[in-house]
Amino acid sequence: MQEYSSQAAYDRGEAVCVIGAGAAGLIAVKNLRENGFEVDCYERDTVLGGLWNPENQHSPLYPNTHLVTSRSQTEIPDFPMPDDWPDYPSSVQMLDYLKRYAAHFGLAEHIWYGSEISHIEPVEGSRFEVVVKPAAGSAARRLRYGAVIIATGHHWAPNLPSYPGQDLFGGTVLHSSRLGDGSRLRGKKVLVVGSGNSGVDIACEAAVNAASCVHSVRRGYWHLPKYLGGEPSDYALARLRRRPRWLRGLLVDRLLKGPRALADRMGITPPDHGHADEEPVRNGRYLEHVGDGAIDRRPEIARFEGGEVFFTDGTATRPDVVVFATGYRPQIACCPPKLLGIEGEDPYPRLHARMFSPHVETLAVAGLVEPGVGTLPIMHWQTHAIAHWLHIRKGDPERAVNFRQQVVAESAQYAVESTGVSSRHRLAVDAEEYLAGLGRIIDTLEQEPAQ
Amino acid sequence: MSLQAWVRRTRTPEPAPVEREVIVIEPMDLLDAEISDDPEASPVLCCTGESAGASAFNALWLKRIAGSGRHAAAVSVRGQGNTPAAPGGPDACAHDVVQAATGLPRQAVLVGHGRGAAWAALAAARYPAAALVLVAPRQMPKQPPKPVGAPRVLLAVGEADAQSKATQAVAGAYGVAPLTFAGDAAGVFTGPGAEGLLDAILSWLGNRD
Ligand SMILES: Cc1cc2nc3c(=O)[nH]c(=O)nc-3n(C[C@H](O)[C@H](O)[C@H](O)COP(=O)(O)OP(=O)(O)OC[C@H]3O[C@@H](n4cnc5c(N)ncnc54)[C@H](O)[C@@H]3O)c2cc1C
Repeated sequence: MQEYSSQAAYDRGEAVCVIGAGAAGLIAVKNLRENGFEVDCYERDTVLGGLWNPENQHSPLYPNTHLVTSRSQTEIPDFPMPDDWPDYPSSVQMLDYLKRYAAHFGLAEHIWYGSEISHIEPVEGSRFEVVVKPAAGSAARRLRYGAVIIATGHHWAPNLPSYPGQDLFGGTVLHSSRLGDGSRLRGKKVLVVGSGNSGVDIACEAAVNAASCVHSVRRGYWHLPKYLGGEPSDYALARLRRRPRWLRGLLVDRLLKGPRALADRMGITPPDHGHADEEPVRNGRYLEHVGDGAIDRRPEIARFEGGEVFFTDGTATRPDVVVFATGYRPQIACCPPKLLGIEGEDPYPRLHARMFSPHVETLAVAGLVEPGVGTLPIMHWQTHAIAHWLHIRKGDPERAVNFRQQVVAESAQYAVESTGVSSRHRLAVDAEEYLAGLGRIIDTLEQEPAQ
Repeated sequence: MSLQAWVRRTRTPEPAPVEREVIVIEPMDLLDAEISDDPEASPVLCCTGESAGASAFNALWLKRIAGSGRHAAAVSVRGQGNTPAAPGGPDACAHDVVQAATGLPRQAVLVGHGRGAAWAALAAARYPAAALVLVAPRQMPKQPPKPVGAPRVLLAVGEADAQSKATQAVAGAYGVAPLTFAGDAAGVFTGPGAEGLLDAILSWLGNRD
């Protein structure tokens, strides 16, 4: 770290630093600008859109990625998608949408591409020093900001399991994020591991394009078709939230009766938690492919042996390609773990209301939740709250203190608890409760200042 | 837009999509060497309650707005002009305005005339308009929703309406003093006061945006 310490940091005053130009970063920049802040957004890649941009070197898109949440539940609240788009837009449309959003609000001029943030550090109390990793041949740059918003996403560090004998396996083993255009599946005997949305989508892709598809699943998920009762499922279920609680239960049961019975017939044991706790798998084709035999479901892998893979029920298969759709680990390498409430071996941040650093008032993270519903609206309301908070903190420290207490109180509800079910579960929030909490936080912020 | 309003909206059926008529005149279209596109200036999107829809702005407004270096557009909401009719009240018309606005290249100023002012006001609660201009508003919501993104608001009314209760209510809701123009609401497109009104709006916009 000696190279840059000799050189003074460039002071950007009250400007805010946003790290990442994916959906969360773009929405953060827009909402900060709307609140009068100067913003510098740093993106390590050369393009915006984050994981939705296949030109992003690390994009985890797999063949035919479509939204699993419907348009009306996914679009940014103050910038709706074109209403002649399909209920479930494709990844190409999603990228087009994010590009339009950036152009519409003039965000590009605030983004610095090819600029990876390698380190951030609090200085002078609540300000931050930010280190931009040097491009080949040049020195690292250091800048100072009034606040930092981390929007680096959580789909970049593949979570790869390791089973006995895996190292000696002769076939191809890859993570779902490295599948690219899917040509590697064509005509092959494929084993897909993991039963989240990616695993299920990829199994369907293999069911159609590969020579055969075996799908190893460790545990049950809720399976939802993309439509329920003639409406997009997420919309149909969200709509029922308006009903009184006693009635809602009955109506939800009625809507889910068919899909549950079908899952049951396919031998899928439902998970031991309510469907709102975790993102359900949304794919209408999967169970039909299981039903027509194109997808052969097996339990968890026990071991690899030569060219064969054995499952815990003693059966085996001999795949050409093994695709691990086993998710990602959150990884915010540029930030000292303590500032995110990370302690010990556990890599999961413990943030106030899932966004504010428990230690520094001017550090927040956007988009680090799995709400089981469209994520863009959540990012919008999060960054709306963060931007308002920074704004108030600047002008009215007394209100800022009240607000802080409100946030801490709200946070108690979303304490990260491990259920041990899966790692992704750790980022899960009940969308309904979380949004209500965000609503209360925003209301506190927007109350007319006391004269 | 409050989070609560958004939650409610995402849980009610979306208005049926319609193919909307949007008329656009860009500064370049005027073929006048004197006029150049000002990339810093926000585009302007107009709507009116009159059944002609977008074409009402064609004769004078769009050309004059484009003449000031701005991308000028007007939308016909469902049932107006060349936009097919479709079910839906003021909320659906506001939806049409928002859809037209998000289709423009940059953050737009919303200008609403007559009942169109009410739709523009509703639209501004869902979409962060660069500015909101209400011309001779009619049938405004009793309590207009708070615009998102805190845009500047201009209220322009005909002389005859300057003191009316309705005008005062709108002025009070937005905390602005109304600007009065010669003539009445019907004359804003062609009447003798039309050019003066337009110039007043454009100079207000030009002040700061
Ligand atoms: C296959 C797949 C399908 C999905 N489908 C849906 C769906 O249907 N509906 C839905 O709502 N959500 C879906 N999601 C969730 C998705 O996470 C969100 O939609 C959203 O795009 C995430 O945006 P983000 O900005 O948080 O992260 P990202 O898109 O990952 O963007 C983060 C950006 O930060 C940059 N970056 C990272 N580290 C640094 C650094 N140190 N310095 C500078 N820049 C950095 C990265 O290059 C990237 O551009 C899906 C996710 C995946 C993987």
